[in-house]
Amino acid sequence: MKWKKLGRIFDPIDYKLANNCVEYAQSPQALVFDDFVRIYFSTRERDRTGKYLSHVSYVEMSKDFRETFNISTRTVIELGGLGCFDEHGIFPFNILRYKDRVLAYTTGWNRRVSVSVDASIGLAISNDGGLTFQRIGEGPVLSASLHEPFLVGDAFVVPCADAYHMWYIHGTNWSRFTNDEPPDRVYKIAHATSNDGISWQREGRQIIVDKLGLDECQALPSVIFLNGQYHMFFCYRQPDGFRECRDRGYRIGYAFSEDLKNWIRNDAEVGIDVAEDGWDSEMLCYPCVFRCDDKVCLLYNGNEFGRSGFGIAELEDPKIKSTSSNIYSHIKRDL
Amino acid sequence: MKEFAQAPCTLIFDKFVRVYFSCRPQPDENGQYVSYSAYVDLKRSDLSEIINVAQNPILELGELGTFDEFGTYPISVIRKGKEVLAYYGGWTRCESVPFTVAIGAAVSRNGGKSFTKLGKGPILSSNVYDPFVLSGPKIRRFGDRWYLWYVAGTKWLANSGKPEAVYRIRMAFSDDELNWTRDGRNSIESRIDENECQASPDVFFYKSRYHMFFCYKYALDFRNNERGYRIGYAVSDDMVHWHRDDAQAGIEISTEGWDDQSIAYPHVFELDSTVYMLYLGNQVGRFGFGLAKLEEYRP
Repeated sequence: MKWKKLGRIFDPIDYKLANNCVEYAQSPQALVFDDFVRIYFSTRERDRTGKYLSHVSYVEMSKDFRETFNISTRTVIELGGLGCFDEHGIFPFNILRYKDRVLAYTTGWNRRVSVSVDASIGLAISNDGGLTFQRIGEGPVLSASLHEPFLVGDAFVVPCADAYHMWYIHGTNWSRFTNDEPPDRVYKIAHATSNDGISWQREGRQIIVDKLGLDECQALPSVIFLNGQYHMFFCYRQPDGFRECRDRGYRIGYAFSEDLKNWIRNDAEVGIDVAEDGWDSEMLCYPCVFRCDDKVCLLYNGNEFGRSGFGIAELEDPKIKSTSSNIYSHIKRDL
Repeated sequence: MKEFAQAPCTLIFDKFVRVYFSCRPQPDENGQYVSYSAYVDLKRSDLSEIINVAQNPILELGELGTFDEFGTYPISVIRKGKEVLAYYGGWTRCESVPFTVAIGAAVSRNGGKSFTKLGKGPILSSNVYDPFVLSGPKIRRFGDRWYLWYVAGTKWLANSGKPEAVYRIRMAFSDDELNWTRDGRNSIESRIDENECQASPDVFFYKSRYHMFFCYKYALDFRNNERGYRIGYAVSDDMVHWHRDDAQAGIEISTEGWDDQSIAYPHVFELDSTVYMLYLGNQVGRFGFGLAKLEEYRP
């Protein structure tokens, strides 16, 4: 694959954001309309204690991503109440249109004491075309289980002919890699299916092999069907030193599958890497692959986990372009 | 271990009755406790005679960041062939609320002396129906099906910066003791007020009916006064619909002594044609547990 970077298309510092948010536009995810694209992202407010709360926001853009029409000025989804799984933030926000509804699978964050946080996956539904969302309950649809003990998040859901498929991540261990640093977490990509989008059956295994060893962190899977194969983009990094050290930070990885069961990892084929300098020169993370008319696009964040916004790249591969009309030939995702 | 013997439950052997309970070492420098589970063996022919006390906790606390890092309490055990299964509340500490709890599972292959967890994570954790604390499991088997009565948090009350949980009794069932079906329905209606807290749903099949003893209290300002735990009672023919009738519980606080302020965490069991109840007294088991004997039953 080869991606052509169109550059950074959104920098949160240029806008006044709802919920007192400043900086950060993380995990951009697109909802495509006839004449524009709405891109949801998570931005951050500092609470009274100086810690961050992640809020969902969106920006509406032209389909060539050169013009910004509109940015949300209202709360898209309220954070959960006292003691809820999503009390301290929602990030990411996986948006999808299914039949006549707009749904979002949220990753809700809540703060802990011995480690910084835990996370679970929630479901929210919009009744106004995606402007605002209401959670289906105060609790999550997917949370810790016997062999996925914590940090269940980063859902990416696709309604297929046979079932809803969800790719997501879960924590495997919290480790103190450096004595004077707080514990860091290790997480892996997994897969579950559901008949109703609410009750999920986990496959119960790591589906993407490690490249950086047992403690590799894998995040934000995003899947698309092209040329008779499923393609997954995700990000991965070293478990420690990833904030400050360029070589240990997030990069975008790639895997493909014929059957949604067996995935072959081949990062060399991802076709996108960090830039020499600028906003995406130290890390690439939180990819979201989607189809926009006859183009295949990849939204992603750069340095500091998206502190200074997100960019987009367009797939250049002519072979893939020529069959783009059949992209969703057997996925019932009404994009 | 220093204090507390909470939430007793029994496993009956030929010569003795093993009573599991939860206890705590001294609190840490911040006054916070962790909680372990252990057991004491009582002579079967004379339950007032202690013949053995566990030397070690039966379950380890969970590793960093897991649901049971700060406590394994309460515990409920049941035999399955040669194994003993345990379901327990695993405690961790949170920032905005003091704690949360999820239900873990473990198995013993040495007659209940020690247990190995089935996994690092919980077997029942929060979901759409049960968003908050999930604790107080009581495992039972009736017919071919496993039943788990448990306590589900329904909300946290802010209480001027000292949050208190409200919790109700619910039931899950399973055909394989691993995958549980829940529906978020409260088994027992509230009686004292809308924020009544219910715990220790101890179900017992006796004389063709299902009997549940449990305990209940007010959500706020319940420590060291008359708003603390009392033992409640309900009866059912199908385990789904329960008729609450606390007047039939047949046990009250004493006029003085270790159980003169509150009584809690009932566990009822039948032994050699006698029905007994183990229960906790003041300060939810700080001073140990007591035993009562059923004197009369009128359906």
